[in-house]
Amino acid sequence: MEQDLSLIRNFSIIAHIDHGKSTLADRMMEMTGTVSKRDMEEQLLDSMDIERERGITIKASAVRMFYEHSDGKTYMFNLIDTPGHVDFNYEVSRALAACEGAVLVVDATQGIEAQTLANVYLAVDNGLEVLPVINKVDLPSAEPERVIHEIEDIIGIPATEAPCISAKTGFNVEQVLSQIVDIVPPPTGNTDAPLKALIFDCIYDNYKGAVSYVRIFDGEVRAGSKIKSMATGNVFDVTEVGVFSPTWKEVDCLQAGEVGYIAASIKSVAETKVGDTITLADRPAKEPLPGYKHVNPMVYCGIYPADGAHYNDLKDALEKLQLNDASLVFEHENSMALGYGFRCGFLGLLHMEIITERLEREFDLDLVTTSPSVVYRVFTVDGRELTIDNPASLPPATEIEHMEEPMVKATIMTPSEYVGTIMELCQNNRAVFLDMNYIEEGRVNLNYILPLNEIIYDFFDSLKSRSRGYASFDYELSGYQKSDLVKLDFLLNGEMCDALSTIVHKDRAYGKGRAVAEKLKDVIPRQQFEIPIQAAIGSKIIARETVKAVRKDVLAKCYGGDITRKKKLLEKQKEGKKRMRQVGSVSVPSDAFMSVLRING
Amino acid sequence: MTAIYVHIPYCIKKCRYCDFCSVPLDETASIYCDALIKEITLRKKQYPDLHADTVFFGGGTPTVLPAADLVRVLESVNHAFPLAPNAEISVECNPKTASNEELRILRQGGVNRISIGLQSADDQLLKRIGRVHSFQDFQNTYNWSIQAGFSNVNVDVMHGLPGQSAEQYLQTLQIVTELHPHHISAYSLILEEETPLFYDVASGKETLPDEDQVADMQDLGIDYLSSVGYKRYEVSNFAIPGYECRHNLTYWNNETYLGLGVAAHSSMEERGKRYRFANTESIRSYLKAVEKGKIPEAEKILINTFEQMFETIMLGLRKTQGIDLKMFEDRYGCSLLETYPAAIERNQTRGLWDHTDPRYLRLNRRGMDLMNTVLLDFKDTNYFELLRP
Repeated sequence: MEQDLSLIRNFSIIAHIDHGKSTLADRMMEMTGTVSKRDMEEQLLDSMDIERERGITIKASAVRMFYEHSDGKTYMFNLIDTPGHVDFNYEVSRALAACEGAVLVVDATQGIEAQTLANVYLAVDNGLEVLPVINKVDLPSAEPERVIHEIEDIIGIPATEAPCISAKTGFNVEQVLSQIVDIVPPPTGNTDAPLKALIFDCIYDNYKGAVSYVRIFDGEVRAGSKIKSMATGNVFDVTEVGVFSPTWKEVDCLQAGEVGYIAASIKSVAETKVGDTITLADRPAKEPLPGYKHVNPMVYCGIYPADGAHYNDLKDALEKLQLNDASLVFEHENSMALGYGFRCGFLGLLHMEIITERLEREFDLDLVTTSPSVVYRVFTVDGRELTIDNPASLPPATEIEHMEEPMVKATIMTPSEYVGTIMELCQNNRAVFLDMNYIEEGRVNLNYILPLNEIIYDFFDSLKSRSRGYASFDYELSGYQKSDLVKLDFLLNGEMCDALSTIVHKDRAYGKGRAVAEKLKDVIPRQQFEIPIQAAIGSKIIARETVKAVRKDVLAKCYGGDITRKKKLLEKQKEGKKRMRQVGSVSVPSDAFMSVLRING
Repeated sequence: MTAIYVHIPYCIKKCRYCDFCSVPLDETASIYCDALIKEITLRKKQYPDLHADTVFFGGGTPTVLPAADLVRVLESVNHAFPLAPNAEISVECNPKTASNEELRILRQGGVNRISIGLQSADDQLLKRIGRVHSFQDFQNTYNWSIQAGFSNVNVDVMHGLPGQSAEQYLQTLQIVTELHPHHISAYSLILEEETPLFYDVASGKETLPDEDQVADMQDLGIDYLSSVGYKRYEVSNFAIPGYECRHNLTYWNNETYLGLGVAAHSSMEERGKRYRFANTESIRSYLKAVEKGKIPEAEKILINTFEQMFETIMLGLRKTQGIDLKMFEDRYGCSLLETYPAAIERNQTRGLWDHTDPRYLRLNRRGMDLMNTVLLDFKDTNYFELLRP
């Protein structure tokens, strides 16, 4: 049976963290009877613990709802949930490309934030109708009028008709459902044309393999179809197609305009790339849908097991996570200090944090991660161009003609009283000021160009603390720039510790060298000999600290009643020794590597 | 050698750094010695042939109980486990808890060594760590002990106390040594968790000297004591030669000892096997158990030979004399040096051994300071590797 396209609405929800996206989605599912109140689990779409705790969506997902409009007709809604963070910008753009409309949720007590704005622009760029919604109007500090003006001023879309809702209580949510029908256009597409399905996410399932989440633009697909990836040319036999209601439900066929999933016994999500177009192998479309690109990791770091014996466990865990996350890349790495581990690439710092947190939580691993690094371009004196994501692979300074580092264009939105302190923060982080404009009275939009390198440590945290949590931040990559970079090394008792090396701007090297050396002095326990800690650029020492030799570790008293306890204490210390890494003659606790990670001088 | 330890768990007031088993004097105190005597009867059935070479009344503060009661317990011990004629019989005593008369009763009842807890000669410091006595109180107790006829007296002192300076500590040592006690125990304060002092330090209310200052105090103390004739024979113990505490040497030689009373620990041989066990830490459970004729033990563990060997090393290295290699071989049927070559080699590299007498495995002074490091190397020795041909 062919679906009447005029009765379909495909949309996503755009919102800043905590502005109520997931709550609104929950309410919509409840009101459309998609899930009963009894089965309602808070924030159904964010199914991972980390997603719920951090209040962010990491994986996209989708849900199909049926809504009875006041015009007497029943509409099929496909809500596509998008990841809520700048690291996943590309994923967001593909999810938006699968929709005709976007519901923009703005917190009536807060106003528009930088990331929301970025996503709204992404939606507008993809030709989506934007339907503004003012949330949390039940709170005493709500200022819906102000926020409506803000939306009109900044984004330039009419917002006077915007429903003023409380997603928490369900107040006026019906208006949102009704406006989706009225404002979001129905999909267009031709079921008789060759298949064009956009992959906006993929998920690994133990039984079905890699499952693609798709929006069908043209044609139809069913179990038994032979499909072809237009990006890779790979061909697969479809084993099952289905929809999200909200869990997977098999259907006979997916047609133009619809949203659903395709399973084709694909071994890995690496073969179902987000943004790829799926077509039929024997009747392919002429052109793929626009917008596909290969996403490269932006941030790299080394991940090692705290106890070297757990290398294989870490490998298994990374492989399992990669099944579901094609943007995670890793390869074996060997560090003098940390032994066997992996060099891992991430979309951004949040992505890195999520992966390490999941490794620790879901796989119960104790990890040591090394200082994160961006990807540098190195031009050598003999005319070669190298791509370096690991300080250890940097050629000696004498072989380097010059280096380039990745830059980002950053947008910071803040109440105007914090402009001074934020400008100072930006200057400290080598940012170049572009412009500043007043969004409205008391709110400012700052634009900067700054090195990605500067924001991967603690920029975001500093921004939040300087603005008491009010400033928001978004960035996009903005090419490479020539930069005066140096490799900063650390020597423990004269031995270089590769796991601590980092690439920094020359002007930052002294500050960072000093800060890290001081921290190391605190975290490296005293040993039998004095340990000089040196920060060095090449052979030049720029900072020095000393861990004094241990004087005494003998227990003052050991009588009849102390013996068993003393033995237990030694047993515990012996276990603790296993978590120490040898850097030459120096024992360094695994935690020490972590504690210097975020120091940005 | 077998030692007998008797625990008296009462104090007038608990010191701020103390984590030993002690409680304020309460109504159980009057029946505690009777309970001890009951336990002695029970233990006699367990070890009918036991003879004791030393007896040590520790606490708590044994002298908060009437001296006559302690003497009664001692007589019961002597009756059950006949004491050698030259047995060393010590009682721990805090100033202000024993009168001239009571010290005389102890001495006449057979006690021949008294150990007095002074800790510091500075009255303000004494107050700060929660001691109930002044230096003058100590001076009185000391004089009365000598008058009562004690010719073997120990004084406990401490360093690393809150706000204590090296000068203050040396002054205490000077004042103490001028009295010419036969034995001095000089401890570094161990900040034990869950003591009042621990919480004060954690909350910043009280500050302790740092690691280096404490080490300086200890070093100065060792040098000073040796300069006035006290030989260091264990990590924290000093004596005029011939006055080393035989009871405590039993522990450091890893010989057997039987602990009596609440929370007392023992290490005994039964049918050729070595055990460590401890009595319950609850006075009420202790009283109830012995009342019912039950041994008041809370835990008992078998120590296998390999563990015994490690214990012998862990304890023996505390003595400046070190471990008697022949004794080790006689006891365990294997050579210490051949059994732990890696640990010995590592600390040879570090320069921590004293080689002046080949009959002993002995740490030098630096080695004594770093004993924990040394022991961890011995702990690394794998038992199962030893079993391989």
